Amino acid sequence: MNLDDELRAALRREDPSPGFAQRAVARAKSNPEPTMAIPIFQPVRISQMIWAAALAAMLVIGLTATSEYRQRKAERAGRDAVLALRITAEKLNMTRDKVLKREEN
Amino acid sequence: MRRIFLITVIAGWTAAQLPAQLLQLRITGLDGLASKAKESVDITLDSSLLQMAGGFLARNGKGSKDSQDITSLLTALKAITVRSFEFNETGQYRIEDLEPIRAQLRTPGWSKIISTQKQGEISEIYTRMEQGKVVGFAIIAAEPKELTIVAIEGTIDLKDLSKLGGLGVPSIPIPDQGKKGKQE
Amino acid sequence: MFTQAAAIQETTSDTMTDDAEQFADLVKEHQAMVFSMACRYLRNRALAEEIAQDVFLQLYRKLPTLESPDHVLHWLRWVTAHRLIDHSRQEKRRPQSPLEDVPEPAAAPDPTERADPLLSNMLRDLVAALPENARVVMILRYQEDLDPMDIARALDMPIATVKSHLQRSLATLREKLSHKKGVGV
Repeated sequence: MNLDDELRAALRREDPSPGFAQRAVARAKSNPEPTMAIPIFQPVRISQMIWAAALAAMLVIGLTATSEYRQRKAERAGRDAVLALRITAEKLNMTRDKVLKREEN
Repeated sequence: MRRIFLITVIAGWTAAQLPAQLLQLRITGLDGLASKAKESVDITLDSSLLQMAGGFLARNGKGSKDSQDITSLLTALKAITVRSFEFNETGQYRIEDLEPIRAQLRTPGWSKIISTQKQGEISEIYTRMEQGKVVGFAIIAAEPKELTIVAIEGTIDLKDLSKLGGLGVPSIPIPDQGKKGKQE
Repeated sequence: MFTQAAAIQETTSDTMTDDAEQFADLVKEHQAMVFSMACRYLRNRALAEEIAQDVFLQLYRKLPTLESPDHVLHWLRWVTAHRLIDHSRQEKRRPQSPLEDVPEPAAAPDPTERADPLLSNMLRDLVAALPENARVVMILRYQEDLDPMDIARALDMPIATVKSHLQRSLATLREKLSHKKGVGV
């Protein structure tokens, strides 16, 4: 016996049950719109993947840059605020000394 | 009809601007001094920057008492403006240069609580009160080789300021805020 | 009166009828191929028909983008093969009841069939028991009579992999057949 021939005979084509084509046509006519689900085997286009990756990278870079900018701005504002309060305190001290000195005189 | 409409719009706009202008002390007339000064400080922090500054100090102050005090003080403020100049020589500015600022501080709402004048030196502290609370605070400190203007906007308790020992903020004799204490 | 709207409606209606007729012809032409692939792969006629129906519904939606009869044939092989592989992978993840494991009774033997019906049935079972990719390769090789190069193209698979699947599958079948029946093949 020849296995190739036996396999060809065993796996020969077979027709589906009668009315298969009519059922397929009726189903297609009643349900022509594609479903929202993405077909599992539809290959994702390389260009779409590149665009998505580029967008994601830009988003990450943008967010990081914004975060760093805000951090630096806050740091500078913090230093300025402390300096401003220090100058204010110094001038209040100075004024107090002058008032006290004048009262002593 | 159109004229009446315009007048109404302008009047409405002016009325809306007035409270803000009264509160906001504009430090003008000192633009040329920075180039003559040995050192100068120019700080303007609005409410959003003060908020950021408070956040930064809270995160980096490691929970210290000073840091907490400063942060709570900053949260109550709306704006801080500081202009300070240190000169090598005397005569780099004139007392008349301060007139535009002092004129604003003479408008209703502002009270001069401390003032000293001696041999060309001026020290003045002003407050602005609203409903029994200090909502504005200004210092003019003019010496022969140094000039400093400070304007702070917001709800300030001067006693809180005096608590900031770590910054060298002094405990000053604060006159009764209900009175217009002038010491000249 | 023959209005523009009526003309558009008539054209649309004609196009739809044409599309349906063209689609019906395509189903009739390819139904044996699609159904048999599914049937050999799954060893379940009802499930095979269901999957074949899904494949043709997908074809109906895809028709405007398919350019030639060859394109349709290639597309049908590709979609059917991958749909079957995907189906069996999903089934593996799904807990099955013991009843589902019972194989479908074989189709009634074809009186014109010259081969040994028992051996054919055994071979179908053995093919259906092969791993997913190897099973599809064997079906395309022996049902569709495709050479390894065409199988590689149909499945987007390297030709070396196709050949390897064929060799290993044939060796497995030979071994199992000799164990089961003592048949020398």
